[in-house]
Amino acid sequence: MIDTFKQIQTRLEATPHLQRLGRLFSETVLIEIDGNEYYLSFEKGRIVSVVEGPSRKTPWRFALRTDAEALQKFWQLRPEPGFHDIFGLVKIGRGRIDGDILSLVKNLRFFKDVLGLARGKEELAA
Amino acid sequence: MSIEPITGRYLTVTIEGAPRRIYFEEAGQGRPVICLHTAGADTRQWRHLMNDEEITASNRLIAFDMPWHGKSLPPEGFETQEYLLTTEAYIETVLAVIDGLALDRPVLAGCSMGGRIALQLAALHPHRFSGFIAIEASDFQPAWYDIDWFHRPDAHGGEMGAALVSANISPYAPVAERWNTLWMFMQSGPGVFRGDLSFYTRDDSLIPRLPTIDTGATPVHIIVGAYDLTCTPEDAERTARAIPGATLAVMDELGHFPMSEHPEGFRPFFVEALEKMPRTAAKAA
Repeated sequence: MIDTFKQIQTRLEATPHLQRLGRLFSETVLIEIDGNEYYLSFEKGRIVSVVEGPSRKTPWRFALRTDAEALQKFWQLRPEPGFHDIFGLVKIGRGRIDGDILSLVKNLRFFKDVLGLARGKEELAA
Repeated sequence: MSIEPITGRYLTVTIEGAPRRIYFEEAGQGRPVICLHTAGADTRQWRHLMNDEEITASNRLIAFDMPWHGKSLPPEGFETQEYLLTTEAYIETVLAVIDGLALDRPVLAGCSMGGRIALQLAALHPHRFSGFIAIEASDFQPAWYDIDWFHRPDAHGGEMGAALVSANISPYAPVAERWNTLWMFMQSGPGVFRGDLSFYTRDDSLIPRLPTIDTGATPVHIIVGAYDLTCTPEDAERTARAIPGATLAVMDELGHFPMSEHPEGFRPFFVEALEKMPRTAAKAA
């Protein structure tokens, strides 16, 4: 899974319009998958580090907690209903969003599009 | 170069005791079909169907921007008002437009909050219409988000609203139409989407009215997309079950804005719905 997030980091470097959308976003986001923690640190619309937990010392702004199977489905080119959006995961009971939700919502397009950079490349997460 | 057959004009009617200048578009001839847009958007959602020659050959499609939306201005004094749509004002607006255009028993097609009000009108004012096409419509939806997110001084409500409603668009939607659909939300005036959602997520008065709808007199056909997180197929099925004689179609590859996000995918479902509506001796002045 860490490889997928690093791939997202690399793709974000090659996606200037997303960097522009996220230019005011400098936060750390926790992605928790089946209890495993991944900390994505953003700096002005770029991912500057991807660190695997567990960590008690890393502050984060908001967290997306889900499971590997749900994420694999989310990253398919055409996910089945409910798996097509992070709020869909929440609605079908396969995801939870914690922390500063307003920070997420203010940067919602940016964050969803960044997470979607792995979409259609599900083999990367294997 | 091409010029579309859609024409737009303005109609001034009285709503809540004050004038409203309402923008409406129409295309086609024959049976009138009033088309209601979703929350936070405007008539542009219907442009594909209004440009469909086969549909407009025998249907006069009329779409209007609700006050505060699109090219319909908010009422005088809006600068000190908090926009909060109500069932009563929405019903008054739809009926005022029908009266203003002198339409005799049009079909009413509405999407999302437009579908909700279509069902309210089916229950409360059925004699004014010949039938109801309720798209992404259900009895009641509490918000799964905080509607106040979309109207605050430290963030762009349009950008946030678009990012949120993108959750309701199918991955089968053509990319260009996905973004054309989202653009309307990005353009929505401050607080308008929130005010629409207030109506949509807080008024549950439709629930006890559903069993009173007489589909023998005015048919009700509900259409829902599988990718709609706001009005899910389960929500629409529950609603259809509560209306004796209502029919339901589930669109496996569409979301909450079918006529806008995926016009080709939606078209056969809309044609089927029109075929279910009676062809009365409706005439337009």
